[in-house]
Amino acid sequence: MADRILKKDNLGKLVASVNGNGGRFIAPVLDARQVVFKDVTKAEEIVTEYILARNSYKEYVFPQTEVVADFTVEKHGVDLKSREVEARETVVFGARPCEAASLSSLRAIFTWDYIDEFYTKREDSLVVVTVACTKADDACFCTTVDLSPESRAGSDLYLLETESGDYMVEAITDKGRAFVEKYKGAFTEGSGKAKTLVMPEKIGTIDLEKVSARLKDKNHYDDQVWARLTRKCIGCGACTFVCPTCHCFDITDEGTQFAGERRKNWDACQFDTFTLHASGHNPRHYQHQRWRNRFMCKFNYYPEKFASKGCVGCGRCIRVCPVRLDITEVMEEFSR
Amino acid sequence: MEEILRKKAKELLESGEVKVVIGYGWNRQRTKTTPVFITDAADADRLVWNPLCVNNLSVYLTRKFKDIQAMGKPAIVAKGCDIKNIVVLITEAQFKREDVCIIGMTCEGVVYRQELWKGELKPEIMPTKCHNCDVRNPHLADFVVGEKSSFTPPETPAGMVFDKIKALDSRGQADKWSFWINEFSRCIKCYACRQVCSLCYCERCITEKNMPQWIETSAHPRGNLSWNLTRAMHLVGRCTFCGECERACPVNIPLNLVNQKMIQVVKDAFDFRSGYDEKTHPPMIVFSPDDKDDFIK
Repeated sequence: MADRILKKDNLGKLVASVNGNGGRFIAPVLDARQVVFKDVTKAEEIVTEYILARNSYKEYVFPQTEVVADFTVEKHGVDLKSREVEARETVVFGARPCEAASLSSLRAIFTWDYIDEFYTKREDSLVVVTVACTKADDACFCTTVDLSPESRAGSDLYLLETESGDYMVEAITDKGRAFVEKYKGAFTEGSGKAKTLVMPEKIGTIDLEKVSARLKDKNHYDDQVWARLTRKCIGCGACTFVCPTCHCFDITDEGTQFAGERRKNWDACQFDTFTLHASGHNPRHYQHQRWRNRFMCKFNYYPEKFASKGCVGCGRCIRVCPVRLDITEVMEEFSR
Repeated sequence: MEEILRKKAKELLESGEVKVVIGYGWNRQRTKTTPVFITDAADADRLVWNPLCVNNLSVYLTRKFKDIQAMGKPAIVAKGCDIKNIVVLITEAQFKREDVCIIGMTCEGVVYRQELWKGELKPEIMPTKCHNCDVRNPHLADFVVGEKSSFTPPETPAGMVFDKIKALDSRGQADKWSFWINEFSRCIKCYACRQVCSLCYCERCITEKNMPQWIETSAHPRGNLSWNLTRAMHLVGRCTFCGECERACPVNIPLNLVNQKMIQVVKDAFDFRSGYDEKTHPPMIVFSPDDKDDFIK
């Protein structure tokens, strides 16, 4: 049920009001021949014909690189000053239902054994405005992981595009309702005819329960199946960096020998240095072992530890892979 | 061609001459090709050959893939452009010519990215390298599969990459700088460019050397610039313009421009083109007593 209508002519007003309030308005725009989530200041920049943005909007809650502390080396030792997170209202417009579902997974990991305020403060001020899918491609597999263009999980506002290019707005969370109230000038009464949503076909040969049951039995660990299916992995981090649930990071110091900053940077379990020990030993010596870790993280560790989804079926990893290693082919193998 | 390729692969595996055939197969939907490693002659029918075979599989011959090297002698399905990289690997002593069996494929061009394929190979979906290709008939191979191509490349290389380089060359220094800073600003440090490259075979890349940290690993403008420039420099006189880095880049950085520019500089300075002769060492790793410059003497 739509609570309100967001007229396309009012989108510009909404963008301007959010920005005018000191907030950020993130939406899909065209950049270097790709649709990418970026800050927008004008509604005209926003792209509506797209399947998914190239990047996940996770970078607005978990930036690719950020300074967490500053240090100076003094005579008496090292002075380390933590940075405060400056969280502004951040609106992500045009997220898809699959990636909206990834937020609870990110929150689970960043509040698990330690509350990472660099994440939580940003997420607290994030408003996810999802636009349901009217397009899909053969990499989309949300329905195979029990999500669909109709999934509301993670969205604060859930929008359906109408035939005339407006949006029917459904407020899902209190945050969403408060947002509509705050910017009520942009939301109007009314109705419209929603465009038909496009459901990716569920991959019949995949059974998530079987996948998770087979992964639970760690006897598969040294199974030749990993090498057979994932030998072709070249070990770049493209899949993990575009993934909305991948969350690993590295801490690195940059600066001179007297002063500098401590940064938190995205890291990827697909890099050979990810598990390299100082001794030179690497417990994940071969690439297929690193790939196994990624798959285990998504379909075993996440569901077991947090009862949340490690994979939302957005298909970004499939689209971006230089060797087209398709995660659904591995899911299929583990459904046997 | 596909049939002859499969037959050849079968023979090689059955005779034990090679232990693995590195080639192309279909993905699940049969819409795109993906690398396959055939170790059993019975699986040779999985091999495919068509304009979607874009990957340069020579990367799997490098020491980055210890598990593949451990399988035994490989045969590799390679286009002329892929063979250029194999030639460089041989000149750089990564393996000997006899250590690899090259199944050379004659080629009429591939698609720049598989997403562009609509069932027909049209010039506008082919990368610049194909329009200027002088190795459509493989120049170094144990076997050649396919009819001889009669294609002759244009005398002066032409195409989008060359046009863009010309346009960039005519711009001022500050202008060029801002162009590259902007392009590199998108870099996400996924290192797909490095990983997909068969000539980036260092077991420990300079970005991974952190005592001191030569290249800042952060994806900020400084870190992105130093990474991309360093990689370009490490490929001077070696890169064969196979285009894999640009194809793999998830954020569309025009790496072909950097690499082709370097190729032109090396051509002008040393009259050398990498990837053609496995007996000639690349200019950056040799010293000649009759070098025309005397700064090193």
